[in-house]
Amino acid sequence: MDPSEVEFLAEKELVKIIPNFNLDKLYLIGGDLGPFNPGLPLYVPVWLALNLKQRQKCRVVPPDWMDVEKLEEMRELERNAATFTPAPCPYYMELTKLLLNHASDNIPKADEIRTLVKDIWDTRIAKLRLSADSFITQQEAHAKLDNLTLMEINTIRGFLLESLNCMYKLRSNLQPGSSKGPLADY
Amino acid sequence: MPCERKPMRYGHSEGHTEVCFDDTGKFIVTCGHDGDVRIWENLDDDDPRFITVGEKAYSLALKNGKLVTANSSNAVQIHTFPDGEPDGILTRFTTNATHVTFNTSGSKVAAGSSDFLVKVVEVSDSSQQKTLRGHEAPVLSVTFDPKGDFLASASCDGSVVVWNIEEQAQVISWPVLQKTNDVSNAKSLCRLAWQPRTAKFLAVPVETKVHLYERESWNHVTTLSDDLLNQPINVAAWSPCGNFLAAASVGGFIIVWDIESKLCVERQKHEKGFTVCGLAWHPSGSQIAYTDTEGCLGLLEGFRASVPTTNTPKVPAGKPERGYEDLFDDEDDDQVMDEGCSDANSPAKKAASGVQADEEDDDDFVIPATGRVKNRGAILDDENSLDSGSLKFGRPKFGDDNDDDADSAVMTAGPLPATLRPVYEGPQPTPPQKAFQPGSTPVHLTHRFMMWNSVGTVRGYNDEQDNAIDVEFHDTAVHHAMHLTNSLGHTMTDVSQEAVLLACASTNELASKIHCLHFSSWDTNKEWMVDLPQGEDARALCLGQGWAAVATSTLIVRLFTIGGVQREIFSLPGAVVCMAGHGEQLLIVYHRGTGFDGEQALGVQLLQFGRKRRQIINGEPLPISQKSYLCWLGFTAEGTPCYVDSEGVVRMLNRSLGFTWTPVCNTRDTCKSKSDHYWVVGVHENPQQLRCIPCKGSRYPPTLPRPAVAILPFKLPLCQTTTEKGQMEEQFWRSVLFHNHYSFLSSSGYEVDEVGQSQSQKEQQELLMKMFALSCKLEREFRCVELAELMTQNVVTLAIRYASKSRRMALAQRLSEIALEKASQIQEEEQEDVTEYSDIRQTSSGRSSYDQTDVREKHHRRQTLEDERSQELEEEEGEREIESEDGVEAPKRLNPFAKVPGSSLEQATPLSSKVGRPNPFKVLGSGKSSPVSCHPRVKNILDHMTPSRKLAPLSASAGKSNRSPVLKPLPPRAKGKAQSTLLEITGAKAVVKKTQEILEARDDQQKKADAPTAPSPADNAETVRPKTGFQLWLEENRKNITADHPDLEETDIIKEAMGLFRNLSADERLAWTERAKGLTGDVKDLKKRKRTEAGGGIENEIGQLEANENDAKKKKAMDPSSKLSAFAFHKD
Repeated sequence: MDPSEVEFLAEKELVKIIPNFNLDKLYLIGGDLGPFNPGLPLYVPVWLALNLKQRQKCRVVPPDWMDVEKLEEMRELERNAATFTPAPCPYYMELTKLLLNHASDNIPKADEIRTLVKDIWDTRIAKLRLSADSFITQQEAHAKLDNLTLMEINTIRGFLLESLNCMYKLRSNLQPGSSKGPLADY
Repeated sequence: MPCERKPMRYGHSEGHTEVCFDDTGKFIVTCGHDGDVRIWENLDDDDPRFITVGEKAYSLALKNGKLVTANSSNAVQIHTFPDGEPDGILTRFTTNATHVTFNTSGSKVAAGSSDFLVKVVEVSDSSQQKTLRGHEAPVLSVTFDPKGDFLASASCDGSVVVWNIEEQAQVISWPVLQKTNDVSNAKSLCRLAWQPRTAKFLAVPVETKVHLYERESWNHVTTLSDDLLNQPINVAAWSPCGNFLAAASVGGFIIVWDIESKLCVERQKHEKGFTVCGLAWHPSGSQIAYTDTEGCLGLLEGFRASVPTTNTPKVPAGKPERGYEDLFDDEDDDQVMDEGCSDANSPAKKAASGVQADEEDDDDFVIPATGRVKNRGAILDDENSLDSGSLKFGRPKFGDDNDDDADSAVMTAGPLPATLRPVYEGPQPTPPQKAFQPGSTPVHLTHRFMMWNSVGTVRGYNDEQDNAIDVEFHDTAVHHAMHLTNSLGHTMTDVSQEAVLLACASTNELASKIHCLHFSSWDTNKEWMVDLPQGEDARALCLGQGWAAVATSTLIVRLFTIGGVQREIFSLPGAVVCMAGHGEQLLIVYHRGTGFDGEQALGVQLLQFGRKRRQIINGEPLPISQKSYLCWLGFTAEGTPCYVDSEGVVRMLNRSLGFTWTPVCNTRDTCKSKSDHYWVVGVHENPQQLRCIPCKGSRYPPTLPRPAVAILPFKLPLCQTTTEKGQMEEQFWRSVLFHNHYSFLSSSGYEVDEVGQSQSQKEQQELLMKMFALSCKLEREFRCVELAELMTQNVVTLAIRYASKSRRMALAQRLSEIALEKASQIQEEEQEDVTEYSDIRQTSSGRSSYDQTDVREKHHRRQTLEDERSQELEEEEGEREIESEDGVEAPKRLNPFAKVPGSSLEQATPLSSKVGRPNPFKVLGSGKSSPVSCHPRVKNILDHMTPSRKLAPLSASAGKSNRSPVLKPLPPRAKGKAQSTLLEITGAKAVVKKTQEILEARDDQQKKADAPTAPSPADNAETVRPKTGFQLWLEENRKNITADHPDLEETDIIKEAMGLFRNLSADERLAWTERAKGLTGDVKDLKKRKRTEAGGGIENEIGQLEANENDAKKKKAMDPSSKLSAFAFHKD
């Protein structure tokens, strides 16, 4: 899976915008959107919000969790907990990137938020690596990780599976008599 | 004890605060945990100046224009006062200082610190320091001996120590306090206080009492206590005259004792019972300012009301001086006198010791200062001073005067008269609320919303570097955002789709100005400006469609066109509060009179311009909640006046009930906390939305971060809305109320969203039916009948069915009577033609409530008509299918409007078989509740509901303009009305004509002639009804017939022709019919094209109906469907 695909999925998340134009309901396959009343907030998918934003047709209201205080709290929680804490939003990384890149003028303290989210991300990825490391060193057969987001899983999936495969091959070669032929990849 | 406790106000963030007065008593100065020192001109000062002294300020002292503060950077620093310039650091500690204080002359500062030290520093030369070591815990407080020899300090180690400053040694120590390890853990702040002037006593707060120690002997002389004091005393403070001691406790009690009598003269409690941690006397002794640990500032005023006997002797001393001042109320005189005073005084006392000199300086300073203060007081309320003069003269009791300081007498005399005034105990007049712009935040804010309405927002910035106005439109299609420099200091704004209107009050040089940015103008001049006459200030303004209105301080309302032409001008009965404009309506709220006990007495006027200029509401009282004031005034997007009071109640005008105001929402109900508010920015009736901005902990939103609009639902405050019945009743009446605007809009010639209207009516009828069913279930038959009264005729028939189904024959009977009544009502109205919904004012006095229903009824009637017709068509078809041998029946089938009494029930119609359900009312034998029409009509109504709902979105997307709340007048205004009228008339005519024709046809026993000969609903060339085969045949053969029978009348010709046509062979007849069909096809195409052009919900609806019918009866569809489409075309 490509990170851009994950981002694509994240674009289905709803975000609040304040449009500056008048438009009736839109009837789309995915559901109805609108009506758009100037000055009246409503929820639309991120892809539409960004599109409108780029055309300067709306103002984006940052999601609740995209707030310096809340993120700071979350960062502390994440740092102190041994396991993963529930992420602020299943697509927090993607949304932060998308919204901050395209609508940073509507988000107060955008830079701080960017740093904070990056901090949270780094903490979580470090934890993930650590657990992957212990998983391999202890030669466990299975492990359970809660509260991971799709993007996080995605970052480690390729490498982890590949390396496990590789190690399996190496190990099976070590065992005498097991080298009957080419091994199937997992 | 008439000491007045003023309401607390927020000053600092939560935490320790301190307060003091400046030397003149002009300012209250506070410091708090937020590190700011605030300088208040008085308690009502909404925008105090502030000096930031550090991250936290622990203590402050102020004297001789020097402000000394202890801050969190462990320094004691000086600022100039009142400018707030930093003036160096006095001393530093290793931890923060806890308390700083000046000596009486202001030459030295003492500071106690958490590092156990007390330092005494010369203000002029900070290198001259004396450190007093000896405490074994953080120092709580310090105080100077007024004579300058000693210094007292209290510490967390439990001791109160008196030091000799010169020797830097302890004189005496009393272990009276509880031991703690830190100031924050101490039960009490233990602010010591040394009696000023005589310096006789040192007051030490010990637990719940105040101990007084005598100077020199250091004996514990007295203990002051009070029953109310059950918590430790935090602060003690002497009045400037030294006769009174005030103390404030942790529990928020403030007690004042008279020292001579040791009696408590004043008890006050903090309004919320918070810990008082700062206490200061006004230099005149008439006020006490206090602060609490929540950062609030309070004031007790009018002190020493009942002056104890010990004080009275001093009064005469002040008398001559007062006399002077009353005579020459002039600063210059004062100065001269003061100078004389000090000149006279200082040489005489120069001989005194060095320490004493300090005190003299101080005295010199105090006298002129207080003199001036008192003088100011005299100017402010000179009636008091006159009173006081006479009172003092009248007082015979002259005691000996042991204190020759004049100012103490002055201070005692100052506040005295206020209390001796005859006291009025009745209801107090409320200060009238000031004029404001609805949708703006208060003027004193530096960043504020000057306007937030449905069009856009106007933000005003007024800080040092910038005075500007930003105009932003919600819909950027209206206009792009604007940034204006506000050089004139505009304070009032309104913004509409056409223009931005600004106004400023007059200044000394400049007159009050009105400035209009008319951005929608098509010429190049987009701006105009008007000066108001001298002495006239703009107070409120608003914009309507094509006009602007400004209310001024001279109680005049001036109207302008949007281009700047002056229009009407009229006077208001009272000072304006606010105004709102919408379309051609102007709503003004003004002060009708003086309100009492917190109430406002407001009046309201509603004017209408445009074609019919009139005053709709002329100066009736505006009902607002008790003890509240007006917060917002405006119109709903649909044009109904609406307002919000400070209790959060939203009220809307009910035009159908004699222009009464109905509460539709209480925004406070949805607030989570008591201090939260909703700031209303707009009201919409369709969809029902109250748009407002949630404000946490305030009444107004800040400009940054940009607040987001929330939507609140409406809820009429009906009883028992938790029950199903109450809920439905609320829904019903809300729906009725919120659809009043349709009739208003149509009456004033605006476009009406027909789909929305019919939908709302359906909703109401559905609700009625539900309530009906509920009441039925509850065996409340009387209530059922009452509900039926509210229903339209169609729904009543439905109700009848429901009743009969559930075997309530008595109820059904009553209902049928109602149905009858309604039917006849409709008929009457129809006959008396369509009267216009003309003069509202007139009708409001008379039958305004009916007017409303009239309109509704009319609409329904139209609908019924429509139903009726389609039914009729269906039936005609049915008849044809039967192609009956029994020709009499068809004409007998009754149109309820035809009103042929008693003719309908003679026989069962063929239709009843088609319907399939036995009619429960056959027995009733009343001709008018036509048995046949009953069922199909019912069916129709229900059918009607579904397709229209399906269609709604379609039509909405087609006509996007429907959604926008902007008013759109119909291009030629009269036409809309004329059209509908025409429709109704022609519709009615058509029905009548048709029935006539039918009857005629019956006479002739010519079944077939029925449909063809009926004239088309309108005699419009475009909509000529398609011809039938017979007609075609007749056209061709007419000449022959007339030739054969020249003497025949027109009807006879047709009769004859009928006979002949019948005689033709079946094949021939078929051929003619085919020809006719070909023709109708063409016509239909034409119709279709027209329909798509017209594009509208109802046509579609009928189109669909038509289509259905086409499907159902393919063979015979042509004729009726074209009839329908003809109707559809007219409908538009």
